[in-house]
Amino acid sequence: MKAIVDCNNFYCSCERLFKPWLDNKPVVVLSNNDGCIVSRSDEAKKLGVEMAGPYFMAKPLIQKHDIAVFSSNYNLYGDLSWRVMETLRIMLGKKNVEVYSVDEAFVDLSGFSPDQIPEISREIRETVEQWTGIKVSVGVAPTKVLAKLANRFSKKDKQRTGCVTVFDSEEKILEALQKTPVGDIWGVGRRYAHSLQENWGIFDALQLRNVSEEFARTHLGGVTGVRLVKELRGEIARDMEDELVNKKMIATTRMFGSPVSDINSIKEAIATYTSRAAEKLRRQHSAASMISIFVVTKDQDHMLGFNKSGTISTYTTLPAATSITNELIKPAVAMVDQLYKKDTMYKKAGVMLSGIIPDESIQGNLFLSETKNCGRRLMDMIDNINFSQRNDVLKFASSGTTRDWKMRQEMRSGRYTTRWEELFEVH
Amino acid sequence: MDGEEFYGAAYKGSKQFTQQQVKTANATGFGAAADDFMERGIDLNEQLIRNKPATYFFRMKGDAMREAGIFDNDVLIVDRSIKLGEGKIIVAILNGEMLVRRFHKNFSSAFLIPENNRFKAINLAEFTDFAVWGVVTFVIHAV
Repeated sequence: MKAIVDCNNFYCSCERLFKPWLDNKPVVVLSNNDGCIVSRSDEAKKLGVEMAGPYFMAKPLIQKHDIAVFSSNYNLYGDLSWRVMETLRIMLGKKNVEVYSVDEAFVDLSGFSPDQIPEISREIRETVEQWTGIKVSVGVAPTKVLAKLANRFSKKDKQRTGCVTVFDSEEKILEALQKTPVGDIWGVGRRYAHSLQENWGIFDALQLRNVSEEFARTHLGGVTGVRLVKELRGEIARDMEDELVNKKMIATTRMFGSPVSDINSIKEAIATYTSRAAEKLRRQHSAASMISIFVVTKDQDHMLGFNKSGTISTYTTLPAATSITNELIKPAVAMVDQLYKKDTMYKKAGVMLSGIIPDESIQGNLFLSETKNCGRRLMDMIDNINFSQRNDVLKFASSGTTRDWKMRQEMRSGRYTTRWEELFEVH
Repeated sequence: MDGEEFYGAAYKGSKQFTQQQVKTANATGFGAAADDFMERGIDLNEQLIRNKPATYFFRMKGDAMREAGIFDNDVLIVDRSIKLGEGKIIVAILNGEMLVRRFHKNFSSAFLIPENNRFKAINLAEFTDFAVWGVVTFVIHAV
């Protein structure tokens, strides 16, 4: 059996852990730059706050019901996510846990006998909450897709299920499949759901489970669709995967705190984002052979508060793959000259690194020049200093020294678990 | 299942090197002689943190617990995985607030006891929303 362990309204739960007075009160968390709502507590959902809706549009509702609002605090969420995953690894063994996202993990329970499964599932839920303070729900079934489906039931009716749902019999699976609309199956996008309903009269998961493999191949995106249908039937088609799949593309993009128009500001921003992207690149021991940048203009034309805007982008192929920040900043900043137009307001910029390969200079390639390895060592040193001191004490001069290109986070709570100066105060 | 992982120490220290990587054997004279006695230095993380994912740090404000040796601005190490027990110092949630007190329980009632006679004991029978956040295991006090 496989389990999915999923944190309930993860970002909101993180905020509540250090603010117990918000228990049972509506809470929302905003995205980078306080743009959109990215996490809602159950109470906020009930009041009609919409997921991914722009913050300014939800503001009247938020004020009316006195909903607590937080800017995202990724330092805190990241630490709590590690705690949840570590708890699972300690309980169930490292190799049986596959971290799927910041707030979800698949767990392989094949080492337990069927009669142990319900008890173990409850124990997982209780231990994670006891140790970390984060509430999770658990779905258990023979396959990953069915486990996801089981978890949907845990989340939908937390009280009745106690946040744990185990599909340990064919009857339970059939009943649940019948109750699940195709659009709510993990891996069925909105477009496929629409086409399944409109063109084929397939409305629930049970109907989808009974289609032929040939049908899945033609109408559900080839081999992915076949796997999905197999998983619905209880045949394992998506096994546990190795964690830490290196990213094929690394991007850093940010909205500016306020729109800018002069070229030097944009160059500083691009240099800053390039440094950040290069850091991510080195963290996964990779090098990139292509760099692209983009800028988004802010149109003066306001319509209901939405801006019409245009994205302009370009790219450069590097002579050799690299992970060294200065070798990436140079072409990145040069591209700004190509894109920049005078008298235009820009509201966003970004950097993308692609053509990613393992970084050979780490192992020390015989055929690489001495200087190349020096650059790599310098980067290691900068990374180590920045990691231990935090707040990017060392940066490249092209990133500018006066402006702060970081996010706007006006309502961020303390970084209680990662900063000694910001520990939560108790009396 | 993975017995060793389950029953082994939850936290195996912050040092990432093994005994074999300590290169005193390359030295002559004293280094070579001391090699037989080489061991890892003391790691406070190993001594003070029993269960890393369950351990949090807090900053004490005020002197409600000074008789217990917890002073204003001290850092508390709090372990959420330890069970609540008679006489333990805990971080409690009361009225949505977080308080540090000693937990005391007798046959009929439970109390949160301050360690400072200027503060009053709290009778938990008068509250409906009492909960335990975690158990305090160590205090870090600058001298």
